[in-house]
Amino acid sequence: MVRAPMPVLRGSITFARFRSEPGKRPQDLRRWLVRGLDRGAFEPLDPARGDDDRSAGFVALEDPDSTDFSSGVLEAGRALFAFRVDRIQVKGTAVRAELERWVAAFPAEHRRAPTRGEKAGARDEIRHRLRSRTPPTTRVFDVSWALDGGELLVWAASRKAVDEIAAAIEAAFEVKLAPCSVGAQAIRAEIAEDALAPTAALVGMTREEVSRGEA
Amino acid sequence: MARREQARAEAAFLRGATGVDGAATDADVRDEAEVEQGKAREQLLRGRTWLGRECLTWLLWRSEAGDPLARVEGAEVVALFTGKVLLRGVAGDVTEVAARGAAAPYAAQVKRALASGLLVHQARLRLTHGERVFEVTLDAEHLDVRAAKLPELLTEAEDDRAAERLDLCEQLGRMVDLLVGAFLEVRASKGWARSTVPALRAWMADQG
Repeated sequence: MVRAPMPVLRGSITFARFRSEPGKRPQDLRRWLVRGLDRGAFEPLDPARGDDDRSAGFVALEDPDSTDFSSGVLEAGRALFAFRVDRIQVKGTAVRAELERWVAAFPAEHRRAPTRGEKAGARDEIRHRLRSRTPPTTRVFDVSWALDGGELLVWAASRKAVDEIAAAIEAAFEVKLAPCSVGAQAIRAEIAEDALAPTAALVGMTREEVSRGEA
Repeated sequence: MARREQARAEAAFLRGATGVDGAATDADVRDEAEVEQGKAREQLLRGRTWLGRECLTWLLWRSEAGDPLARVEGAEVVALFTGKVLLRGVAGDVTEVAARGAAAPYAAQVKRALASGLLVHQARLRLTHGERVFEVTLDAEHLDVRAAKLPELLTEAEDDRAAERLDLCEQLGRMVDLLVGAFLEVRASKGWARSTVPALRAWMADQG
């Protein structure tokens, strides 16, 4: 698979930031990293087998077809890898067009219109056939993780993708990732909950509305 | 009524989807303005977004004078809002205003909108750290870094350039965190309600 230049190395700079909670530092960082990536490694979709329409997992940064993390994953204390999402999407319009052709041809063969059950069976069969012919679409998102400082950058603009990648990293490495939003930083700074309520005079609400939690 | 339609109506009634008069029971009877305000309030609440908006608005106010706002790695950080600024609010008829223009963020029209209860939700900032200049678009909800511009890379070798680029990205993140830290320090203090908010309101009202 040929991919566009890796954003982590060149091109547009858009990323979501997380802070990984400092846990017990592994003795062998590289081994810990490879083990985690292996745990959540990408597995290609096989349309001929199984009914999965989506597969997601970690791949090597420089080669999204590779799940060999034995080299190049750790550079100067920074983990560099990517998260690949493959999806097979059979277009509804294509299924409908094929089904209409099948419905039109049915009476010539059977001298009657197809029953509802026969149509449903044909729809499934058409969808299955089209699925086996549809190549998956692939999206790859880079991840850089400064292991000493605990700063993790997910190089994606889509919030859905960011959340999925963060969850995959948490599961694979058994770490807790905290977002860097102002609200999350306020919590980390242990600012009392009372002091964090919206400022009535700024948000355009009355003090009563704010204290009633109507924000 | 045809038999099939009657059966369908009965089934809908049994499901509780319609009442005895045949009208939908869970129909949204709110008018368009109420729905819009409901959405705006939900956006404000999600992940304490109001704190992000208050932070960006405070930063806009503090940055107008051009004074340094924080100190990172031995050099001062000066912030300047440039280009497009997006304001959002929950009260009144207007829930979103986008202003575009070289000095739009500091324009009287923007201050007027802020004074009416809207806050900065997304903005483009130029952060000057010593001699280095970064540009970034930040949003109030997640504080994600979007379409950032980094200072010119100094290294030549490909591997070194990649490392320098990542260093600069992390440095940009640290600068943003420091600005947020400076805001939270003021926000959590007693002076926030007593002096900062009145000063902020006075700045919004001063549209001369």
